[in-house]
Amino acid sequence: MAIIEINNIEKTYNPSKVPVHALRGVDLQIKKGEFTAIVGPSGSGKTTLLNIIGGLDSPTTGQIIINGQDISKLSDNNMIDFRKENIGFVFQAYNLIPVLTALENVEFIMVLQKKDKKARQERAKELLTAVGLADKLDKRPSELSGGQQQRVAVARALASKPAFILADEPTANLDSTSTAGLLDMMAKMNEEEGMTFVFSTHDQRVIDRARRVVTLVDGKIESDIYNG
Amino acid sequence: MLFQIAWRNIWRSKLRSMIVIGSVLLGVWALTFLMSFNRSLINGYIDDAIRYQTSHIQIHLPEFVEDREVAFLLPDGEKLFESLKEEETTAAISLRTSLSGMIKSPRAAQGITITGVMPSYEKEITRLDEKILEGTFLDGSKRNQIMVSQKLAEKLKLKLRKKVQLQFQDVNGEFTGATFRVVGIYKTGNTVFDLSNILVNRKDLNRLLGKKDASHEIALLLKDKQQLDVVKQKITADHPNLLIEDYKEISPDVKLYEQQIGVSLAIFGTIFMLALIFGIINTMLMAVLERNREIGMLMAVGMNKLRVFGMIVMETLLLGMIGAPIGLFLGFLTVSYFGEHGINLGAFAEGAERFGIQTVIKTDLDTNVYLIIMFGVLITALIASIYPSFKAIKLKPVEAIRKI
Repeated sequence: MAIIEINNIEKTYNPSKVPVHALRGVDLQIKKGEFTAIVGPSGSGKTTLLNIIGGLDSPTTGQIIINGQDISKLSDNNMIDFRKENIGFVFQAYNLIPVLTALENVEFIMVLQKKDKKARQERAKELLTAVGLADKLDKRPSELSGGQQQRVAVARALASKPAFILADEPTANLDSTSTAGLLDMMAKMNEEEGMTFVFSTHDQRVIDRARRVVTLVDGKIESDIYNG
Repeated sequence: MLFQIAWRNIWRSKLRSMIVIGSVLLGVWALTFLMSFNRSLINGYIDDAIRYQTSHIQIHLPEFVEDREVAFLLPDGEKLFESLKEEETTAAISLRTSLSGMIKSPRAAQGITITGVMPSYEKEITRLDEKILEGTFLDGSKRNQIMVSQKLAEKLKLKLRKKVQLQFQDVNGEFTGATFRVVGIYKTGNTVFDLSNILVNRKDLNRLLGKKDASHEIALLLKDKQQLDVVKQKITADHPNLLIEDYKEISPDVKLYEQQIGVSLAIFGTIFMLALIFGIINTMLMAVLERNREIGMLMAVGMNKLRVFGMIVMETLLLGMIGAPIGLFLGFLTVSYFGEHGINLGAFAEGAERFGIQTVIKTDLDTNVYLIIMFGVLITALIASIYPSFKAIKLKPVEAIRKI
């Protein structure tokens, strides 16, 4: 069964003034354990598509089913709760909480899930160790490099045990070494733990590592290719 | 962790937070001091009025209050005086003969209220013996002693041991008078009282009036002001033919001033709260707008609106509540210092005296006023937090972070 099921999604901005058709009838299914990159030129609609998959934006028409639940009709607060339990986010600009340490940043999502302190600290340490930051637990984001911050962001995304992780251009601000390290780490989690990743990216290095590449052009899926 | 985030967030922009905290601190300090000064000023006026003019309770024949005729004597005044003296609630009591007359010195003359007192009891009420600048209090060792204020002495060109003439009507309506010798010159600090009152021995005055046991007034000072209504009601019930008045009835201006303490508290408090509200809203709004992206991210990853609202409210409360206790403590120290050493009104002293206001203000403030101020700051911060918090939860995560 698909974790993400998108049925004939359309998204139009400014429908009453100057309509901008960001998505024009997109159908897409992503199964558990996939490592998918959504690619396309600027303005192709990949960010809109990711926003809709992440429940941050709603489609003008069409249906989106995550983990068997139609999220198109959820209220704002129910949507926030849904995101908390089901979706892990990795942002291009890392977006860590600057006043919290790496450990606290990873713990934070579990605080929202009301997990007890001991359990969440153990998991946060475990995840930060898995992303290679066991020695940076007490560092604040400003004391970490871009690559390290993005690793913390990945650990945070994984902390809530989501159904899948959405990553928006996760390597856009990273150098080659950091990009390679981050991709290795995410690929390992995908292979070993079966975690589903969906990226939007321009980065050829990410595209090369993706096992499925969905290309969007002018709000439509132009190609959907599985790499081995 | 929400508290941790809120606490650390307020120190992200140290300067901005310190400005708000400093404003709260200074505002609370100023408010505390201002309230205390105003309260002490008014209380000083009220205490003086009670001490020198009204006491807590005065007892007269109703006709005497209407028309201060010498013939309107208290029936069995001495007996009533003796019985009230024994009451548990009585702190001090004085039996007085009071009449209007003329005081004449070789240089000048003026109308005056002549009060005949029993010196040992009177001292306990007015404590005028502590206000004597020259000479002594009335002691009754010699006939026809008189005490005048410094102001009156200056006006009539009187000096210690000089003689003055008093003229008044006796109980039969006949003019009478005698020569009195100045034994003491006092200064209460209340010009109104000082210029219109003189004190003589009651037995001298009664002899001249032709009635040994004459009395017009009983002045009663209570151990506890809170007992005022109970005591007044009891005396009224026991003596329905007499007029029993408390200080608020005798001197409505005292009542007005007493009410003014509460009014001024409300006015100062409201001005302070309004200024604080706008200051805090401005700061918190800046903090929220600057963190649009971060707040959007928090909502994106699963922080619901209630928690976001709570976080901004908590930050605002922390901002308010850091400065308030320090301001209160500084206020307490200032009030304590000036409570001990007093604030000399200096250049304004003469003007203040004319209005019956003490020239040295010893500040004092009830504990509950400190609590009211603290509570006021809490409420203010709470009100001020509402708009920025709403602004924060109105953010759409997708717009705040632009794209995931």
